[in-house]
Formats: sequence, structure tokens, C-alpha cells
Amino acid sequence: MRVVVLASSLYSETACAMCARLAQAGYVPAAALALGSFNRPTLLRKVKQWGLGGATDYAWAKLIRGESRAHIKNPYFERLLGNGDDVFRSMRDVARAYRFPVATCSDQNSQNSLARLKQWSPDLIIFTGGNILRRPLLDIPRLGVINAHLGLLPEMRGMSSPEWSLLNNLPLGVAVHYIDDGIDTGPVLQQFELPDAAGSESLSELRDRLIAFGVEKMADVVAALDRGTVSACPQPECNKDNQSFVMHERLQALAAQRLRKARVASVPGVVHG
Amino acid sequence: MNSPSNHIAKRQFARMLAEAAGLLRRPARAFPLAAKIASDLLRLSTEQRHLYSYAKTTRASHETLNLLLRWILDAQRPDGGIAAYYSLLCGYSESYPEVTGYIVPTLYDFAHASGDGTAIAAAKRATTWLRSLQMPSGAFPGGLHRVDTPPSVFNTGQILHGLVRAYSETKQIEILQSAMLAGEWLTQQQDSNGSWSGAGAYQGKDHTYYSMVAWALAELSKSSGDDRIGIAAERNINWVLSHSRANGWIDGINLQGHPDYLHFIAYVLQGVLECAILRHRSDAIAAVAKSAWVLLRKFETNKFLCSAYGADFKHGQRFACLTGNAQMSCVWLRLFEITNDLRYLNAALKMNESLKQLISARGSRGIIGGVSGSYPVWGRYQPLRYISWGCKFLADALLAEERLMRSLEAREVEALPCAS
Repeated sequence: MRVVVLASSLYSETACAMCARLAQAGYVPAAALALGSFNRPTLLRKVKQWGLGGATDYAWAKLIRGESRAHIKNPYFERLLGNGDDVFRSMRDVARAYRFPVATCSDQNSQNSLARLKQWSPDLIIFTGGNILRRPLLDIPRLGVINAHLGLLPEMRGMSSPEWSLLNNLPLGVAVHYIDDGIDTGPVLQQFELPDAAGSESLSELRDRLIAFGVEKMADVVAALDRGTVSACPQPECNKDNQSFVMHERLQALAAQRLRKARVASVPGVVHG
Repeated sequence: MNSPSNHIAKRQFARMLAEAAGLLRRPARAFPLAAKIASDLLRLSTEQRHLYSYAKTTRASHETLNLLLRWILDAQRPDGGIAAYYSLLCGYSESYPEVTGYIVPTLYDFAHASGDGTAIAAAKRATTWLRSLQMPSGAFPGGLHRVDTPPSVFNTGQILHGLVRAYSETKQIEILQSAMLAGEWLTQQQDSNGSWSGAGAYQGKDHTYYSMVAWALAELSKSSGDDRIGIAAERNINWVLSHSRANGWIDGINLQGHPDYLHFIAYVLQGVLECAILRHRSDAIAAVAKSAWVLLRKFETNKFLCSAYGADFKHGQRFACLTGNAQMSCVWLRLFEITNDLRYLNAALKMNESLKQLISARGSRGIIGGVSGSYPVWGRYQPLRYISWGCKFLADALLAEERLMRSLEAREVEALPCAS
């Protein structure tokens, strides 16, 4: 199976871990396409999206990236991103180790990107981040484009899914689904509840765990797709615009409180008053 | 051709010229004007509009509320009415009966939340002035305070909000009598289909944003126990709902010479929603929720609501009508209150952040604590003005946010397993 990985940046830990995990599972990516992190079109896009201040912050972060990438930010990726005495710092490092090509682009939907993707003739594209994908790209791979979403579908579509799951008392987990024209509305291949979700110390740890869990499960789903042992289940047609958006910090504080509450409740021997 | 829209455009142009002449009379006003334009230009070039982020401000809601109240109190004229606006060109306008009426509930809410007695005193002065304007028929005049202004359905409805609240706070029977007289006049003026058209209606036409009048009638019905008035209110929202489209858009704002500003779109929603809550109409709540959800998605995706939309929420104009934004925050907060859907609260919190950062804590009277008509300030909705109804709706939104967040946070603490 020819798998291509889409990444939000060459330095995306999730994308690096995804490529490494796929390679370890016997599915070395045929190629990867990442958004460029410090080129003119990207900076212009960032200025448009974030304003001058945000774009300056972004450029500053990228300029000092050599220093900031010396350690792995998500501790649950340590095993996947370890490379002997060193770590995989970028997609290029992973690609060098597992021998697959990596290209950068300013827009994953651009004509150049589409031409390159067609050239790689993928059976499957795995999305780990980047642009909102348009129909011409979605139509390229034989099987489709899949994504590991950090919430269970169809209840928890959109952004800040772990936090919204906590606030709405919904189980925490990951859904591997096909990407279609809506927001997390494509057919679901498999979904998995996060074991011991209450064991997380903080919201950021919970997110790290879910992202790493998603990478693991994505590799399992790719293998199942290759064997033909999994089929997609369409989501209900109604309420397709029913999604959540990035959570305000005051509500995030409540979600963090819920997580603490769940932790306290799950510790054996603690008596609740 | 001298079409009605040409006539309106000419009138607006003449008003702008008259306002600009104010700058010639007091050239010192050029400095705050230039400062505001420069500040909006700078903000426009640096602000973030990213799907994964939102505007943040370090200023707490209660601090902004104090600034807003200060603006409102500064705008109270010697007669007791509240000015419609402070123009960066010509200063304060005359008192505006309509806004003075529906600012009364805000003043009482602020006073209860903060314990500030000055807001109650201001509300009482405003009520006294309003009652002095009531016509023998029960109607109130339209427009800014001048002699011989004709009666207006919408302004009477908006003033009725203040009278009903003033009665419930003071229990003064003469205030209830004023309110009942106004309510009777409104029901007499109502067309058989539930709308208001004819001489008392703006431009002589029916408008769906008169649902705000229906809300006032529903409040009066609850306060007085007179169900006839409540039935009249429901007749109006039935008429408004007959303008609903499948995608949530509600037609019939019907203003000649103006686009459908978000202020009016939000009026339609607020009026129907509050009336529906008072009259237990789940169908009307569902219709409002549908419309409010479309606007919520637009705001969350673009971090911005356009100042005006065409039919079907399309072709928005690229500047913000801050009053409409604050009203949408009120609608979302109310929907959260009745549905418990936290996504409404989430959107309102972010909208309030984006509005709070635009309130100036420095400057002269009329500017400090003011809400400009448009953002940037030169946008077409009330250009170069700080408007009293903008302050009113933002204060309402922040008061509701504080109340709902306090209750949500308290519930959360109570539910903690180790809380005693």
C-alpha cells in the first residue's frame, strides 16, 4: 500500500512520529508533503491569518527553532522519535532514516501540490495537519484521505475536542475517519476510547496522550485497511454543521477542573465527602 | 429621479455635513478623532483572525462594565434623558427617548450586580423624564428629543421595556399606569396579521425587528397579568416567524436606504427569543437558535461578524457593527441559559473579549468607556460616533456573562468530589 503523509510543517512532531510509526509497522511512507515553515507565501498567509504581531511571533519561533527542537515536546513520542543517541528533529531526519522523499509546499491544495501528489500515486493519504483539504486533493488517493481526530464521532466534531468531551461528560478517545467536504463528517473507520483517560495530570498531558494514541491507532487502521479487515461506517446525514470551536480559556479552566475531579475519583482509597 | 432611497441618501449626507461643521466650531476635537482613527488602523493591521485563536484582553469584565456605566452616566443630559451618541465631530446629541427607555433595565441590572446606587438614581431620573414625554394616547415620540415629533410604535415599545422594569423595581403604580397606557396604544395600532405598519411604523412599513416591541408587550403582560397583551405579543412573533427561511434567515427587516445591519438582524432574534421564553414557545426558540447558530459558525470561523448581511446571510460588509456583535453575544448567552449548550457561552465569551479590547479607558468624556458604532470607527454604521445603545448592549452582555460564569463555576466547585 502506497501511503503519503501530509504535515503542517517539516518540524511537526506528530507528522514525524506518524511517519516513524508507519515505517515500524511495515508501511514506509511513499512520500510526505509538508507546509513550508519559513518561506514568503507561508509568512504572507500567517500575516493574513494572524496579523502582523502573530506573524512576527511565528517567525521568531521558527528562527530559534534549532534550540527549541533539541528536546521532544510530547513525552509520549519519545520512543517513536528516538534515533539512537539523537532524536528525529524534522521530517527530513525521519525521511533520511527510512528513505522516502519529503517535499514542501505553501498550500497543500495548490496545483503544484496536486501535481506532486498525483505523481506519487498514493493509495492512501494520511493527514496530520495543514490546510483545510479541498475536493481535488481528496479525490487523488485510491482509498481516500484519513485523519485521526481527537474525539469520538459523531458527537464530538471540530476543535478542542478533548476539552469539550470533558465538559460534556463524553468519553475521551480517537476516531480514525475519512476526510470529506465537512468538518469531521466523513465515514468512520474505527474509534478507540483512551484507556485510563482520568490518569492525565493536565489538559496538555491529556492532549499529548491522545495525539500519541491517535498515531498508534492510525498505524493499526492502515494495516487493517491493507488486509481488508475494516470498513468505513458513514456518519448520520443530519446535523453535519454541528461542531465545536476552539475553547475559551475560562471554559478550559473548567475542563481542567473536571479532569482533576475525574483523577481524584479514580484514585483507589480516596474517600469522597 | 427623486426616489425614496435618493431622499434618504440626501438626508444622511446633509446630516454628515452638519456634523462635520461641528469640527469647525471646536477644532480641538480633531486630536481625539485622529487618535481614534490611528488606533483603529493600527489594530486592524495587527489583529489576529485565526481559526485556532481568538482576541484576548487582560481587562476584566467588571472593569469594562464600570467604564461603560461611566459613559452612560456622562451621557445623561440635564433633562434626565440619555444622549443618542457622542460624535467625534460635534459632541453629544440631544436626549434620545428610545434608548433612554431600554437603558433603564441595564442601569438596574448594573446597580444590583455592583451595589452602585448612582445607577439607580440615573434610572429614576430617566423614568421621570420618559413619563413626561408620554402622549395622551399612551404613545411616545420617535427620534431625538424635539418638539412635535410624531408617535412611534418602535420607540414606544423600547420605552415600555424601561417602564415595566422601573415598575417592578419601584412598585410605583403610576409607572404601571404609564406602561399599561403604552401597551394599550401598541395593541390598538397592531395590524390584524400581528405586524405594525402605517403612520406609527418607521417608513410606514412593517418590520420584523419590531419583535422587540412584542418582547416589551410580553413583559408587560407578565408584570400586569393581562393576557390580552401577551396574546398580541405572540401574534407579532407568529408574523415574524412566517418570514423564516429553511436556512435560518428571517426576512422582513424592510428598511429602505439601509442595508440589513447586524443590529437589526440581532433585534429580530432578541425580540423573538425573549418573547418566546416569556410565552413558552419552543418553536420560536428553535427558529432563533437556528439563525443564531449560523452567525455563531461565521463568527467562530472568521473571528468576525460583518456589519450587515444580505438575504441568506450572504454578501456581508467588511466592517463590524459593534452593537450588533454585543447583541449577538446577548442572544448566545441566553441560548446557553436555556439549552445548556456550552458552545453558545464559548462564542459569547470570545465575542465579549473582542469587544472589551475596543473600549478606551483613557480620553475625554464621551470617549472613555464608549462603544463606537462601527469598527473601524469610519465604517458606515454610525460613523465617527460612540453610541449609547452600543454601551447598553455590551453592558448587558458582560452582566450576563458574569452572572452565568459565576453560576457555572460555582456548580463546578460544588460538584468536586472533595468539596464539602
